Amino acid sequence: MLKYFFKRLFRGLLSVIVAVVAIMILLFVVMDKMTIFQEDEQYQRLLNNQKIIYRYTMWEKYSYLDYVTYNDYLNELVRDGELEESFKESIAKIGKTAAQDKPDVAEYVAKFTEYYESKGYEVIRLDAVMATPVRVASGGQQHLFAAQNTPVLIRVAKFFGGLLHFDSIHYADGDIEDRGLSFTLHDPVYGGEKFSPAIIGNGTYHKYLLYFDRYFPYIHQNFTWITLGQSYTVNKGVEVLKTMGQRQGAYITSTTYYPTGLVAEGAEDLHSATYAKGTRETTNVNMRLYSDDYTSVDLVKTSGSKVFYSFVVSIFGSIFSYLLGLPLGVLLAKNKDTWIDQLGSAYNVFMIAVPSLSYYFMIKALGSKLGLPTSFSLDNPSVLMYLMPVVTIVLAGIAGQMKWMRRYMVDQMNSDYVKFARAEGLSEREIFSKYIFKNAAIPIVHGIPGMFVGAISGSIIMERVYIIPGVGGLFLQSISSYDNGVIVGLAVFYGLLSILSTILGDILMAIMDPRISYTSKAR
Amino acid sequence: MGNDTDKLIDLTDTGLPDEELFTQIPQDMSSVEKIVAPKYSYWHSVFRVFFSKKSNIVIIALLVMVLAFAYIYPVFHPYDKFENILDTTAKHLTPMQAMKRFGFSIRWLFGTGESGQSTFDAIWYGSRISMSLAIICTLINFSIGLVVGALWGFSKKVDMVMNEIRNVVWIIPGTFVTSVLIMIFSPSFWTLIFAICITGWLGVAYSLRTQVIIIRDREYNLASKCLGSSTVRIATRNILPYMISYIVTVMATSIPAYIGMEAGLSYIGLGIADTTLGKIVNNASSAMMVPGWGWEFWCPVMFSAFLSIVLFLVGQSLGDAADPRTHML
Repeated sequence: MLKYFFKRLFRGLLSVIVAVVAIMILLFVVMDKMTIFQEDEQYQRLLNNQKIIYRYTMWEKYSYLDYVTYNDYLNELVRDGELEESFKESIAKIGKTAAQDKPDVAEYVAKFTEYYESKGYEVIRLDAVMATPVRVASGGQQHLFAAQNTPVLIRVAKFFGGLLHFDSIHYADGDIEDRGLSFTLHDPVYGGEKFSPAIIGNGTYHKYLLYFDRYFPYIHQNFTWITLGQSYTVNKGVEVLKTMGQRQGAYITSTTYYPTGLVAEGAEDLHSATYAKGTRETTNVNMRLYSDDYTSVDLVKTSGSKVFYSFVVSIFGSIFSYLLGLPLGVLLAKNKDTWIDQLGSAYNVFMIAVPSLSYYFMIKALGSKLGLPTSFSLDNPSVLMYLMPVVTIVLAGIAGQMKWMRRYMVDQMNSDYVKFARAEGLSEREIFSKYIFKNAAIPIVHGIPGMFVGAISGSIIMERVYIIPGVGGLFLQSISSYDNGVIVGLAVFYGLLSILSTILGDILMAIMDPRISYTSKAR
Repeated sequence: MGNDTDKLIDLTDTGLPDEELFTQIPQDMSSVEKIVAPKYSYWHSVFRVFFSKKSNIVIIALLVMVLAFAYIYPVFHPYDKFENILDTTAKHLTPMQAMKRFGFSIRWLFGTGESGQSTFDAIWYGSRISMSLAIICTLINFSIGLVVGALWGFSKKVDMVMNEIRNVVWIIPGTFVTSVLIMIFSPSFWTLIFAICITGWLGVAYSLRTQVIIIRDREYNLASKCLGSSTVRIATRNILPYMISYIVTVMATSIPAYIGMEAGLSYIGLGIADTTLGKIVNNASSAMMVPGWGWEFWCPVMFSAFLSIVLFLVGQSLGDAADPRTHML
């Protein structure tokens, strides 16, 4: 059976890859790259060459292409020691047209062109746009640059190549003495007195590879981690998974024991420290706080992450819709063809037919009439603000569970085995709990992992109605700001979750019901 | 065995008169074609069953009224969002205030919106676009879905290929795919339809495939196959009639589903530029909590709920009526 599930998992992963390729083709090939400027006011205001340059810099920012200017190239040469700084200054300014280049400049322009064309870039030279024979028009300065679209296959390869990371003591590329791992029973983040085991690395990407803290799941590891690509605009430069899992809201300061021995009020979560080469010496603050280059830390904030909110709201919603919907379904089945049953089916029709948007607003209005909070507030959180979103999910979810359970009960109550059990003299209660419910529970169990997935992906519309700072909101933000990084990352995230959930559902079902077997022999 | 023939009795030996005995009747070719059972026409029976319920007549009357209003009213009263834009006293009025301000007219039945426009006009104009969108999406999805679903159910090879496609498409939430497509093609009426339909037919085809597989291997089809019926004949003559009720139900109930989908997409900012029901709700959503401004928000919200329920009920009753099992007298 294990082999069967591994095969399923493998096929599922292949499907994810195909889906990501399709989405990347849509985003980077099919989509007209000019779309991102439609509502960009800054772009509308620019003129002439400046407009073109702006276009290319934005495209690079959104990761459509690789863009290198002539100046970047010269700076690179200076860094590699092939060019003197002073000489570079003299050749940095190109002529208004190619014919007006000074001989030195022309030589390097030719080198630049040759170098990047050999790498498959398109080299573009924009001649100056003249307003009068002597004066350059607004935004009409001359430019020289090279640009290359990243092919989709390379993009995909890069994405999946960078999906999984393993930390090692050779990760950091600076001059680090005594690379290695050390184990301590007294975590220095807690002042070095309290008992709290931790594994600390030197030369690794994360400083803390294993540690305990007071946040779920209490024990954390950084030996291996997943990245889903970078956000380009929503949360610039930050990894997608981190954007989803990062705490939100205002900073909380607490007594912090910095690596230098300084004890002060601070919001830094020192456990999250990662390596950033040469950053300690860049600012005085870093010099005071840190004793090494592990200076990149997260900040402790008051509120949970996006995933947390989406998850909590939907999990409680789903659990309660099961808890209420199933008994109600039984009730309807027992009172078949009475007014109770008709009321139930009317409720069902209402839930299916009414657009979810209208339904959300009706419930929201009802909630505000009752004086309940109808929007999330990170500044003054209360347990009550979860109530309305959860109720919204429950009332809608009950309909589905109820309908299913009623149908199942009605079918089963007339089946032979139930009649036989009744003839044997079993009580109705016994028949239900020992026979019918056991059979009905199989598909219910099958749906539970799916419920968890639905919980995380959340209802995009509902999160907006109640202003929940969740994953759905992040997705909408990424759509409205054309953040392809987040879109691809979320697609992979949802894809992996739904594969895992279907497989998990099948495993649970097989555990519940011994008749189900996934191996071909038993069939 | 030989003994049995000995037991046969010669009828003339019984002594009965000829009238009491069996006689041979010559074959009458004209009576061969006659069927004694009462005349049955499928669609005739569908409508008979449908209209025999009084509640169905009420909802179909409501539907006809809504359709007539949505498609005819805007011709006479074209919706103009900016008709009262300069009139600061015309904004956010309740029906009473609006009628006091502009005089009695059906146009002010739902009050006015944020730029002094008639909410009544907006709702009809918007529901025309929303309904057209939903109907076109349903037609496209079902014409593709029916053909693909039938092939999917019948052919094992197609089944293998389509299952893989479905696995790829369905691992990512539908709203996600639709939103990304709308972002890519920048929203307009036809791109919205494209975005909804490009994955929508797959759901229709898959549910149909399941139905086909259930019915395909029943004994009567096996018998039909043994008698030499072609697959096309089995599909169109044996299976399609069985599924018409199912198809009608799903099709009719998917129209309100698309109206709801469009409203949701408009609300999250992915709708088309033109006025639709979702767009009206979205534009007025800030007025929801303002005391006295409720009309401009609740009217479109309640109207889209009403429209969807009417469409859904008509669809469901039509689906019930299309089921041949309800045709028995």
